[in-house]
Amino acid sequence: MRRVERTRWKAVRDFANAPLFLATIALIIYGSIVVSSATSGMDGGPGLFKRHLLGIAVGLVPMIIAWAIDYKLLKHWTGPLMVALGLLLISPRIPGLGDSAGGATSWLQIGDMRLFQPSEPAKLVLIVAIAALIAEFEGKIDRPKDVGRILGYLGVAMVLILMQPDLGTGLIFVAITMTMLLVGGMKSRYFAILAVVGAVLIGAVLGFHVLADYQEDRLLVFVDPARDPRGAGYNLAQAKIAIGSGGVSGQGLGSGTQGNLHFLPERHTDFIFAVLGEELGFTGALLLLGMYLALLVTALAIAASSRDLYGALIVAGVIGMWTFQILENIGMSLGMMPITGIPLPFLSFGSSAMVTNLGAVGLLLSVWSRRYGT
Amino acid sequence: MNTFQQQLKSRFAVLGVIVLLVLGSLLVRLWSMQVLSGESYALQSENNRIREISLEAPRGRILDRKGKPLVTNRATLAVSVDPANDQVRKLIIHAQSEAKSDDPTRAEIESVFGGLADQLGMTPQEVFVKVADSQVEALRPRVVAIDVPLEIVSILSERQQEFPGVRIDEIAVREYPNGSLAAHVIGYTGEISESQFAASGEASGYELGDIVGKTGAEAQFENVLQGDKGRRLIEVNAQGKPQRVLDEQPAVAGRDIRLTIDIDVQKVAEAALVEALNEAHRQNFPKAKAGAAVVIDVKTGEVLAMASVPTYNPTVFLGGVSTDVWKKLNEKTSEYPLNNRAIMAAYPPASTFKAVTGLAGLQYKVTYSGKTYTCNGKWTDMGSQWPKWCWDHSGHGTISFDRGIEDSCDVVFYNIGYEFYKRKAEELQAFSRSFGLGSDTKIDLPGEVSGRVPDAKWKKAFNENYPEYQLWLPGDTVNMAIGQGDMLVTPLQMTTIYAGIANGGVVMQPHILKDVLASDGKVAKSFEPVVLADTGISDANLDIMRRALVRVTTQGTGASAFRGFDASVAGKTGTAEVKGKDDYAWFAAFAPATNAKYAVAVVIEQGGHGGSVAAPVGRNILAKLLGLPVETVHATDLSR
Repeated sequence: MRRVERTRWKAVRDFANAPLFLATIALIIYGSIVVSSATSGMDGGPGLFKRHLLGIAVGLVPMIIAWAIDYKLLKHWTGPLMVALGLLLISPRIPGLGDSAGGATSWLQIGDMRLFQPSEPAKLVLIVAIAALIAEFEGKIDRPKDVGRILGYLGVAMVLILMQPDLGTGLIFVAITMTMLLVGGMKSRYFAILAVVGAVLIGAVLGFHVLADYQEDRLLVFVDPARDPRGAGYNLAQAKIAIGSGGVSGQGLGSGTQGNLHFLPERHTDFIFAVLGEELGFTGALLLLGMYLALLVTALAIAASSRDLYGALIVAGVIGMWTFQILENIGMSLGMMPITGIPLPFLSFGSSAMVTNLGAVGLLLSVWSRRYGT
Repeated sequence: MNTFQQQLKSRFAVLGVIVLLVLGSLLVRLWSMQVLSGESYALQSENNRIREISLEAPRGRILDRKGKPLVTNRATLAVSVDPANDQVRKLIIHAQSEAKSDDPTRAEIESVFGGLADQLGMTPQEVFVKVADSQVEALRPRVVAIDVPLEIVSILSERQQEFPGVRIDEIAVREYPNGSLAAHVIGYTGEISESQFAASGEASGYELGDIVGKTGAEAQFENVLQGDKGRRLIEVNAQGKPQRVLDEQPAVAGRDIRLTIDIDVQKVAEAALVEALNEAHRQNFPKAKAGAAVVIDVKTGEVLAMASVPTYNPTVFLGGVSTDVWKKLNEKTSEYPLNNRAIMAAYPPASTFKAVTGLAGLQYKVTYSGKTYTCNGKWTDMGSQWPKWCWDHSGHGTISFDRGIEDSCDVVFYNIGYEFYKRKAEELQAFSRSFGLGSDTKIDLPGEVSGRVPDAKWKKAFNENYPEYQLWLPGDTVNMAIGQGDMLVTPLQMTTIYAGIANGGVVMQPHILKDVLASDGKVAKSFEPVVLADTGISDANLDIMRRALVRVTTQGTGASAFRGFDASVAGKTGTAEVKGKDDYAWFAAFAPATNAKYAVAVVIEQGGHGGSVAAPVGRNILAKLLGLPVETVHATDLSR
């Protein structure tokens, strides 16, 4: 009997990854609590919270599909995946389908009903597509031509995303690609060159006003928050006040004055971490970082368990995506990073992001459950 | 584990390190913000959401001695402009800029305040001046108009978007049930000035824009009247909209005060002054436009009435006085109606001062009752090159000291003055000072001047740049003896002289505050009478002077004014010469002559003769106090 049980348990473990589930569920529950508190004082708050829960439910579908599909099949679909990626990123510009918000055309909608932000699932498409490309080099990228090809793919995605324009998601694309290049074995001198080129690009962008005004403003305010305290700097200042005033133990769930009295902008989406910081304090923030650590370490273990490079690269891409989003979102609330509208994984309100993140979990499970295959 | 996985291991390690670095750096930053600087952020968070609103304390009322209201409060709707409004703020910032070119144009002002100005019947420029020139604390709304009719208030509040920054508040303002009555005594209120604010100090709780007493009793008893502001802590949201009250400390109303003024006597005094000006005009003194009258209780120093003409209406200061009105109130052509001449103006006392000279002569035995003098109209004792004239150029002939007072014979007092000069001891000055002359009476009103008792030292200092005028001459003492020359006395000081004579030589300090009332209306604190000066004059000498002064009103220069007066009055008329102006008319008296209760002094600038212009005012004030009929008296008196 015991033997049978153990065998059955092993079968379950082969198929599902308990730590990943635990970390994901913990984050989703924690996130729901914070979103519930953040939306409670807002117009239509309960409705928003219901939509958040709906997003979680809907997200189970791509998760299960990704889990069920053998990721290795995707390896041969690089071309179509890139086409799909392009379509996703262009779709908001198709008349009758798109909508703009906050100066960017980034929503798909039919009539008045907003469906989702295509740039969210696009991240996953980018991961599987570029991972397939990198996997071709079998763990050693040393030729400029190869680097160029990979960066060419990224470049296409970047041009399309910056046309929306959505700088935040563009930066995520870069982070994803860089992480996969690291795991894919790109030589460190290329990283050095890319860093230099990146720095020059940023300088050129600011110098020639390539960015939309509001984006440039956000970047400059990041450098000097006193620039415009009522404008772009106001958001940052209020977020910092909220987090700082949380202290060690926070002001209590639902009792954050910065959030409830509307000093915090975008408090259920981009600045959800400020609500958490204010109401649950350092303790609550520590708990969240602990959950993220568990998630990312689990993901690293899954990557390490992969038999093939492609699987490892997909997981690395997801790790890069999450890590960068955590750094950028929390970092901007703390004044460490420029302000961009990047959601905090599993925490921020927003169904597109939730569905995408659960899809990413599905990809991880797909890799995990096939680690013994060939 | 195959070799491939071994190969990747180091790369995953690098990735793991990156993940740890990211989470670690966030953690360090969180530690520094939440644990180390948490308190400072908590304070910023409180500053964000908590606003302190000060609650105005109702100002104490000012009542007369019987408790009749002189100043009360009433609620009114005030139209204010909020300087925080974007359009308004822009105008203010431009107006405050150093560069002239930045000044807002007529059109800009019109576009912001045009609508409001139309409704209020003002010009846009006037509205703008009230908003921009205000010394109100930067964020406090500036009152533009009060007592705005309800239909205009409803237009302003219904169509708010047409009137940038306009708000309607109910505020309390001063009310004056008797109009301008006693305006100089009670004074007016206004916004605290920057210098007052700076001087008041932190602990006083004043804020720029607070209404404080500016003059008179309002200023003198500011501490008592003001009360303590309350404060309310409210929580606001990001739009500044109040959410709830966190804490409230109610305001403590200012205390009511009772003045020593009697409204009924004050009314008589003010009416009599106006009547005296008319009388002066009738007597061909057309320049008579100003004057003052004071009456005090000789035993306590209580001021029963204090009047000054021309006067003003304190209501013009409510909600901020307009530039035009303020200018008019401070012009020479309007005779400076804000000045309380009873204490702020000093005049040559003329013949009314002879009572002092006479008493000094008696006290220093320079003269005595019954001593005779010879008046030929012209007096040449100082040498024929310096002749002095009696006001009666035909002369009084042989005249006694006592008759000299009754008829106000100058020669009698030239003789006394010359005696004092020859004694070279400045005894006349010392004696004058023993009445408190040359110093403040210490009345509890702001702005009092101290007058002047001239002496050799003063003359030398006064003519510092004119060596030829520095020497004290016989003529100086002689002039002083008849109240001319450089002697200067305020009407209130004159009252205290006669009060001192009436009160056995003891001068009581005049005062205006009777008592302070507690919130239940009971007396919380009374003013206790204070002796200002004790002249030390003997009763016998006082008696001589009293008898002579009574004869002034029965047979002498004041007899015409007191014809048919049913009480015995000891008084003295005076007619002061002022270079380049018509004569100033004086009258000073106490009554009843024996066991006196009241002392009064009246001056009419350029009013002519004391006996015919000033004395009737004194008569009517005393009549009111003594329960005698108040009537219009046409007196004759050609003395000086």
